[in-house]
Amino acid sequence: MYLFILKRILQSIPVLLGVSLLTFIMVRSAPGGPFDQDRNVPPEVIKHLNEHYHLNDPLWKQYLDYLWSLLHGDFGPSFKFQSHTVNDLIAAGFPPTMELAFYATLFALIFGLIAGITASLKPNSLQDYVPMSTAMIGICMPSFVLGPLLLLIFGIWLQWLPVAGWGQIDGDKILPSVTLGAAYAAYIARISRGGMLEILSQDYIRTARAKGLSTARIVFVHALRGGITPVISFLGPAIAGLLAGSFVVETIFQIPGLGRFYVQAAFNRDYTMIMGCTIFFAFLIVIFNLLADVLLVLLNPKLRQEVSGGR
Amino acid sequence: MLSVKNLRVVFNTRNGTTVAVDDLSFELNAGEVLGIVGESGSGKSVACYSLLGLIPMPPGKIEKGSAEFLEQDLLRMNEAELRKIRGHKISMIFQDPMTSLNPYMRVVDQLMESVQEHHPVSRKEARQRAINALNEVGIRDVEVRIDDYPHQFSGGMRQRVMIAMALITEPQLLIADEPTTALDVTVQAQILTLIKNLQKTRNLAVIFITHDLGVAAQMANHILVMEKGKVVEQGTTEQIFKTPTQAYTQKLLSAVLTTAKPTASLAEITEPPFLQIKQLKTYFPQFGGAFIKRLISVVKGVDDISLTINRGEILGVVGESGSGKSTLGRSIMRLVDAQSGEILLEGKDLRTFSLHELQKSRRDFQMIFQDPYASLNPRMTVFDALAEPLLIHGLATDENVLTQVNQLMDDVGLDRRFIRKYPHEFSGGQRQRIAIARAIALKPKLIIADEPVSALDVTIRAQILALLLELTRKHRLTMLFISHDMSVVRYLCDRVVVMQNGKLVEEGATEQLFAAPKEVYTQQLLAAIPRL
Amino acid sequence: MNELNINIEKGTSLTQDAFIRLRKNKMAMIGLCILIFFIAIALLTPLIAPYTYEGQNLELGATSPSQQHWLGTDVLGRDQLTRIMYGSRVSLMVGFIATAVALLIGVLWGATAGFLGGRVDAIMMRIVDALYALPFTIFIILLTVIFGSSMLLLFLAIGAVEWLTMARIVRGQVLTIKRQEFVEAAITMGLSPWQIITRHLIPNVLGPIIVYTTLTIPSVILLESFLSFLGLGIQPPQSSWGSLISGGTETMEEYPWLLVFPGLALSLTLFSLNFLGDGLRDALDPRASKD
Repeated sequence: MYLFILKRILQSIPVLLGVSLLTFIMVRSAPGGPFDQDRNVPPEVIKHLNEHYHLNDPLWKQYLDYLWSLLHGDFGPSFKFQSHTVNDLIAAGFPPTMELAFYATLFALIFGLIAGITASLKPNSLQDYVPMSTAMIGICMPSFVLGPLLLLIFGIWLQWLPVAGWGQIDGDKILPSVTLGAAYAAYIARISRGGMLEILSQDYIRTARAKGLSTARIVFVHALRGGITPVISFLGPAIAGLLAGSFVVETIFQIPGLGRFYVQAAFNRDYTMIMGCTIFFAFLIVIFNLLADVLLVLLNPKLRQEVSGGR
Repeated sequence: MLSVKNLRVVFNTRNGTTVAVDDLSFELNAGEVLGIVGESGSGKSVACYSLLGLIPMPPGKIEKGSAEFLEQDLLRMNEAELRKIRGHKISMIFQDPMTSLNPYMRVVDQLMESVQEHHPVSRKEARQRAINALNEVGIRDVEVRIDDYPHQFSGGMRQRVMIAMALITEPQLLIADEPTTALDVTVQAQILTLIKNLQKTRNLAVIFITHDLGVAAQMANHILVMEKGKVVEQGTTEQIFKTPTQAYTQKLLSAVLTTAKPTASLAEITEPPFLQIKQLKTYFPQFGGAFIKRLISVVKGVDDISLTINRGEILGVVGESGSGKSTLGRSIMRLVDAQSGEILLEGKDLRTFSLHELQKSRRDFQMIFQDPYASLNPRMTVFDALAEPLLIHGLATDENVLTQVNQLMDDVGLDRRFIRKYPHEFSGGQRQRIAIARAIALKPKLIIADEPVSALDVTIRAQILALLLELTRKHRLTMLFISHDMSVVRYLCDRVVVMQNGKLVEEGATEQLFAAPKEVYTQQLLAAIPRL
Repeated sequence: MNELNINIEKGTSLTQDAFIRLRKNKMAMIGLCILIFFIAIALLTPLIAPYTYEGQNLELGATSPSQQHWLGTDVLGRDQLTRIMYGSRVSLMVGFIATAVALLIGVLWGATAGFLGGRVDAIMMRIVDALYALPFTIFIILLTVIFGSSMLLLFLAIGAVEWLTMARIVRGQVLTIKRQEFVEAAITMGLSPWQIITRHLIPNVLGPIIVYTTLTIPSVILLESFLSFLGLGIQPPQSSWGSLISGGTETMEEYPWLLVFPGLALSLTLFSLNFLGDGLRDALDPRASKD
């Protein structure tokens, strides 16, 4: 098992190297330097700035320098907010983003699984159609449509929930989390329904029924473990999607999170910030994919045995 | 103990209502074994499943009937009441032990769960009962193996676990649904003996569902023959086998092959020999390892096999699963590449052919596959499937291809009207006829048939075998016939080779080998055949 | 009865079967109708649009739906119906073209890996796995920031993301079909690899590819709208559904219709494509068509 985790960690190193290299190349091949936009800056200052940030070194050296500092956990200074380092910005923006992603995932898992499992128990009945139609709405209603609509209805017309912010007023975390999680709840509902239907048609479920077990026991003890396997493999990519989705949700609800910083950095051509964030996001995604893989192996005794190479 | 009266089960599908079981009645007393015999689609399984509420409803529906079990009507019970019967008073074992156990749960948990569902016992007591039950069915090292997962057991062992699980709650009735169909013959013999012994010591009533009359004869006191949902005939085992009154029963019995080959051998010895295989080895290297892929082991599919087939001969290759018999056939067809050795067809080594030479020469040796559902392209009509080889090898022109295809349809006994239909519109037996027509279309010198009848029902099987015999005579075909079924091989083949673990165990003329097998393994195989 | 020309029974092919099933699926048919409607509008927009998309009328300002402006006007007095119609051109075009890019790369990649198998397959799929781990949406944002947002870049970038799943699906299908006995039967009949691919492999993998293509289009449209919403996609004065929604969000308190109508157009399109895709999947599902 440990060997497997170690192997997967080693496998993700080239991915991260690739991400950093790709990002670096893309950023550096951009037309125009980071300080070009500010027309008021005199040339000598630009020269000075370029020297200060080692922008005149050969590219490969810049990349290696950058990697070296990354290894020390140093993402470098921000080009735009010169008093801040990228580390500062990530440290400030990451907690709300992570919290938002966490609540959204929680919402998606709870509602998705309940809907999916309920639907799978009585396929092609009302119990199936209602949650699945709702899920279809969730999939076809992107967060940037759903968010404003929820805001309009619950924030402005009904005035039940606050319209913006994060952690300042009670309940201001509800709308953003629901907005971000809704599509994933819908996906999870569809995936878990499919997974459960697949498992429920297996011979061993028939065996369990022939043993006289209760429906609850059959569903939760016998079917669930196999049925949610596809949901877990979906969670890895879902995290990547959630992080991207946070850009929109944080913009709509004005949450001071990493996603909003990233979009701002993108508009400001804040290269170090873009690079730092991209690599940081890639790192998160790699970690969550790793966790999902390990979880998949832990849940499946056959895989577990293959991985540990036992009898 | 169990009295079923006028049971009728229907399924409401997209294409209307089908009657799965119609007017089924039977009685079963304690300590009796009832064999329900029928071909696929006869409703034999549905009937038993519906007694316990195990058919999906809807689309299934029990329209009428009653099933008195210990003075209660099973069909009038609600789910909660039925659950107290299921797995407690009436237990079941199923066909495929590979898929019938939960792969995510330890064996011990699955056994204990059965006990604790129906008996108020402690975990410790339940575990002890699980250990006892596994000991009773002949699992070795129970204390260690009990914490294993199902995939760590072999097929036969898993079926033993299933039996232990079924009997751990001390049921009065055991329903066994084709419990040995997925197993090799020697393992089947062991499992049948085990069930028989347990039935006797516990005075169990057993309903034994099977398509195999031999198995039914060995296990049951009473036999019930079903066809298309209806009871054809029922009676004591002796009555059914000695004096069957109904035509269908007689047809089933006559389809059981117990006889030698009905026609004389057409083999003629030629020089060079028609097909000569010399020291053929087909190995499959297995790679693995946590970090770097490395060779872990080598599976010897075909391990140093030499044999000769004469022109006009039907050579049978028998063996259990994993014996390498299919790999042998596929190596000769060059569907897999052998490591070393020679495959000499009329003196020319097929292994030395280039891809192009091979493609051209393939018209000389053709193959019939096991699964007629998979061996035909679902998107091609029968005409396209049969015309394709003819056109590719230039044996027909666009003008006369229809005549030739029609001729082939006649040859294999299919109606010419069906040539524009698609494979999914035919039954299994008809599909196998199409596959046979395709194989003989090129007038090949050699046909390799890989278990061509094992996916078919007995009566259909008899027809296809008769067809194969007729075609080999008519077209003077030479055939390598691969099968796990000794009786089929005996009926069809002139000569037999027995394979085990990739090696050739014994070789001889069919009747000689059946009368006086020399090797222990051959004797075991022959002894394991269930007899009427 | 004519002896030579006996009445030959026509069979029903799996494709015909699937179409019969699809036609019975109400939601899928509704989806198809909506989709055709939107495509027709997108094609005919320059001819039938009531106004021009950049034509401002500052005096008018934002008005609610009326006789002159069915879906109202925005703060600059531009007709919203016209802008949504022009937006549909962008969204659908991006959807179809980027999906075509994904289809091309994905099918070639997946089919090659699946057909060749062995080492080649292992390496090709390892590359796909590695790319899967990349934060692609983020990369696309990066690309649009750096190179400016051109339509071409958008097509390529989105297509480049979506091909991964397509490659996986195609490879899986090819591997499954390749192991089927009818392909082995074709080999034993002496067909060349090319004949096997064209006659036996392609017709059998086509179904899943069609299904997945139908389901890729909505996710591509979604991605484009997402970028346009963030202001990184289509640039003003051109309109896209994403940028219209973005604009609508800013003024939704006063003029909610500016948010609702483009949102509705987007959701309806996604609905129709998803339902059509689901219907196609049910209709083409080989498990359902067996027996």
